Amino acid sequence: MAIDMNMFHGFIGQLGQLGKMAQPTDYPDDERVTRAKDVFGNRIGAEQAGDMEACVHCGLCAEACHFRVMTGNPKYTPARKFELIRRYYRREKGPFKWLYQLFTRDITAQDLMDWQELVYDSCTTCGRCSMICPMGINIAELVTITRAGLANAGLIPADLRAVQQEQQAYGTVFGAGPDALKLAVERMAEQGVEIPLDKDKADYLVITSVIDILLFNDTLMGTARVFNKLGLDWTIHTCAFEGANFGMLAGASTTQEKASLAIIDQAVKIGASAVIVPECGHAYPALRWAGANIYGQRLPFDVFTISELLAIQLKQGNLKLKQNPDLNITYHDPCKVGRYSGVIDEPRSVLQALGGRFTETPAHGKMNWCCGGGAGVFVINSATELRRKAFDKKIEEVDQTGADTVVMACGSCRMNFLRGSVDAKWDKNIVSMVAMVSENLA
Amino acid sequence: MIGEFIDGPLWYISSIVFVVAVVWRIIVILSFGRKKNLAKPRYSAGGGAMATILRRFFPYREFYEVSKFRIVAGYMFHIGLFALLFFAVPHIEFITSISGLSWAAMPHWAFILAAELSFFGLMYLFVFRLTNPVTRMLTTRGEYLGSVLVFVVMLTGCLALGRSHEFLRLFHLLSVELLLLYMPFSSLMHAFTFPFSRGFTGAVYHRRGLNI
Repeated sequence: MAIDMNMFHGFIGQLGQLGKMAQPTDYPDDERVTRAKDVFGNRIGAEQAGDMEACVHCGLCAEACHFRVMTGNPKYTPARKFELIRRYYRREKGPFKWLYQLFTRDITAQDLMDWQELVYDSCTTCGRCSMICPMGINIAELVTITRAGLANAGLIPADLRAVQQEQQAYGTVFGAGPDALKLAVERMAEQGVEIPLDKDKADYLVITSVIDILLFNDTLMGTARVFNKLGLDWTIHTCAFEGANFGMLAGASTTQEKASLAIIDQAVKIGASAVIVPECGHAYPALRWAGANIYGQRLPFDVFTISELLAIQLKQGNLKLKQNPDLNITYHDPCKVGRYSGVIDEPRSVLQALGGRFTETPAHGKMNWCCGGGAGVFVINSATELRRKAFDKKIEEVDQTGADTVVMACGSCRMNFLRGSVDAKWDKNIVSMVAMVSENLA
Repeated sequence: MIGEFIDGPLWYISSIVFVVAVVWRIIVILSFGRKKNLAKPRYSAGGGAMATILRRFFPYREFYEVSKFRIVAGYMFHIGLFALLFFAVPHIEFITSISGLSWAAMPHWAFILAAELSFFGLMYLFVFRLTNPVTRMLTTRGEYLGSVLVFVVMLTGCLALGRSHEFLRLFHLLSVELLLLYMPFSSLMHAFTFPFSRGFTGAVYHRRGLNI
């Protein structure tokens, strides 16, 4: 099922208008600083302190960051991105704060504003910098906390803030509520693919994302085909279907908690043994790794991303695939699924089971280069040029494989790939993994 | 008079400041604690911590090409310095005099080699810091000062090796004492904090299923 490119361009056009819909979050300068510091203070634990104490400014992380490498601008060096929180830590929490208060200046509202570009526009928290750091510093986590501080200070970029505010207020993203889901399900039923909505009890609660409902219907349809073929007891719920978590992306914890709890509560209610997260990169760690901490106890169900489920079913012999010798593919690891969550071998086992030619990009798995659109960057309009430059690295990598098709398991990545390929007039097929699998079910 | 001060009170003061400040810095880091992670782990956190502490002594192949000179210089400096610190004859004699412990020293040629390696490595990294746009932007005055102090300690150590003049030994000891006073407050403390950053991050990633 091909993507409707008119629909795609319309969607991209709407993204360009997001900022106008954001509600203002203005605070006096002093209050901004206080609010940011509150978050910094609460979120810095031994792990973050250990990280900030260890950095020697060797600059190696600059070589791992797609934004720094592709722009050549040193200001995008990952170590610089956590300098603000480090300054706060040293002055107000660290072991020699009395000393640092003599020699360093306090952070200001202007500093917070200056850091907006560094932690939102030019960082997808992809974590590649942590792979090169000789000290093993978890830079992405420090950037995430800085984002949370800025969010609390009312400094989420307007485009991202508009979506976060919508999700906070209505539980929807890009206006796609239950009606949009029902409409998509009806359209798929007309094509012979049934999606069981709102079952009272089910083994699997499948969530989806707004992008799959509005744009990448092939992903949702592919998921349904696979589940139906496997004969699994599954459902999608109209009151808890949105996997995208713009609270997590923006650094707004209340929105993150609300979005996650909606899914967790529904999964508990229907007695699900597992929640299946769609091809939405960050939706997986939002539930798999952060969910239990929000819920306050270990989740009473498993959480699998779709590529994980496919690999499990394949290994158990339940998923049978046709061999397709014509395939000439490579795989793009979504950062939040691969490097962040350790789901690296699973998608490869599925794709290799399809036959054909599978070629890895030079850097892949935990070393994969991010596409440049993750962590909400794909909706931030001020990041357009940065994102485009970062994507050139992806083009370089994929071109070296000789593959004609790039497979991925993340809607945001796919969106970014499509935008990037349109901009660069790059003629690769950009496809969903589950959609490809569903087209090759034996 | 000055010599007695360097040999006596200043040595004790700098040693005490060093030990107390290093221990304090580590205690404060650990005192922040870790929040209990309720997510079901894929693998153990502890195994990942140990693996990453050791694994990060070696860079990933993927990054070697873009950072090979810095990596090689880093190895030269750190290995050379380690050898000089713990296997130079005067240092072992000094440690023996205060603790009774003793071990085999490296031969003179190895001392020269270790000194050359560490000098070259340190100077390369220092020049790199000054000339590379990224490191020039990141590096603080404190970090330059740390590099200079280490350089002076190494230089005075080499000058004092022949033990031809008492003032050279005192000069070396004075530079060491200044370094001891400065180190716990500077990023040179990475010599003690690296297991924490590596270990914590390794634990986080391994819990999620990844060996880094």
